[in-house]
Amino acid sequence: MLNNYLKPVLYFIPLAVIQLVLVPLISIDNVAPNFILILVVYYTLRNGQIFGMLLGFGLGFIFDLISGGLLGAFMFSFTVSAFVTGFFYNENKFDTNLASYFFLVILFVSSFVCLFIFGSISNSSTNIGFLFLIVEEGILPAIYTTLFGIPLVVFSSKKGLQ
Amino acid sequence: MLNLIKRFVGNFKEYVLFVVLSVISLSILSANEKPQAKHLKTFAIASFAVLNQLANSFTLIFQPNPSVEELKAENARLMLELNKLRRYGLENEELRSMISFKDTSKFPLVPAKVISKLVAKTEGNFIINVGANEQIQKGMPVITSQGLVGIASEVSGNFTLVKTLTNSMLSIAVTIQRINVQGILNYDGTNLIIKNVPTTYDVQIGDRVETSDFSSLFPPSVPVGVIQKKESNVYGLLHNLVIKPFADIAAVNNVFVIKIVPSKEINNLEMNLMK
Repeated sequence: MLNNYLKPVLYFIPLAVIQLVLVPLISIDNVAPNFILILVVYYTLRNGQIFGMLLGFGLGFIFDLISGGLLGAFMFSFTVSAFVTGFFYNENKFDTNLASYFFLVILFVSSFVCLFIFGSISNSSTNIGFLFLIVEEGILPAIYTTLFGIPLVVFSSKKGLQ
Repeated sequence: MLNLIKRFVGNFKEYVLFVVLSVISLSILSANEKPQAKHLKTFAIASFAVLNQLANSFTLIFQPNPSVEELKAENARLMLELNKLRRYGLENEELRSMISFKDTSKFPLVPAKVISKLVAKTEGNFIINVGANEQIQKGMPVITSQGLVGIASEVSGNFTLVKTLTNSMLSIAVTIQRINVQGILNYDGTNLIIKNVPTTYDVQIGDRVETSDFSSLFPPSVPVGVIQKKESNVYGLLHNLVIKPFADIAAVNNVFVIKIVPSKEINNLEMNLMK
């Protein structure tokens, strides 16, 4: 069981560096993809809801610490995102969920939930409207994140999941 | 009863776990200001920033020649001096001399590089490669050669976490330089805004905005931006002013930390007034 967690944690380290160093270079008006989230969604669909929630919780906590953001914000949003993603988990449908374009739909939904929650938690301004949170904090970064799920789908379908 | 609880937890273990994890994360969220949480964060930033710095060195090819940095530092110094001179032209010199206002013409600047950024609409922050070893302290302002960028919020040995102007949790006391009107500047996710400025004040588009004498976070007269737009509220009695920052915060790579802690200056000023 512990070995199952080791692999995503090892992937997390380079992804966190990319997220903090390279992603700012490709962000458009503060809209950026979230690579850690792709990792959480992928492993939730592979290993189930409970695994995903624990992984999201742990990785969220570490990412909150190293990014200097609000402690608990990514922790909570990754946990909720993994909880939502967990409803798509099906042992018999790995191919459909991970190696087809249905993965992108799941990724978009999970990204939207995660980033919307993160945006809602991390802003303290009363000027920010609900529509802003939905569109600018939720939909736009979710679309950007989903775009980066495409190579994963292509890679998974070519390589085969086993 | 115990069996009933066990059966409930067994049947709904995903939901129970979700509630437990959510409660823990929300509790941590509310404990952000506790010293233990801050120490943990500072330690984690310092440890992981080494990796970020390594990765950042690969992005150096996109950055300007290091020989330009000295000129930029000089430019930043001159910008601060120039802004102060502008202000002096608008202020009452006689009154200043009467209260023995302490001369603050020297701004010791520490150059730094941004090594990582957290890209978020309302939680702008980044980590720079100078820290306590260069005598950087929490609360020191961070600028570019154009103007104010943010404030040092956490400091470790070699790294500093900077809260930028595009962080909705940062509110700054500012002055509209030409008419000397005070206001509070904060970020609404899209723009920097000074809220509720009475329409009776002669505010004009293009007026310069700088940090206020009353700011407990920043030293006075650090340029922030210019007024880009005036938005009247429903009754037309108050304005919301949209400010365009001088510094391009999204694109900033090289910054300077002003090595002064404003609270000490305020203390000095208070002592001067008591003389």
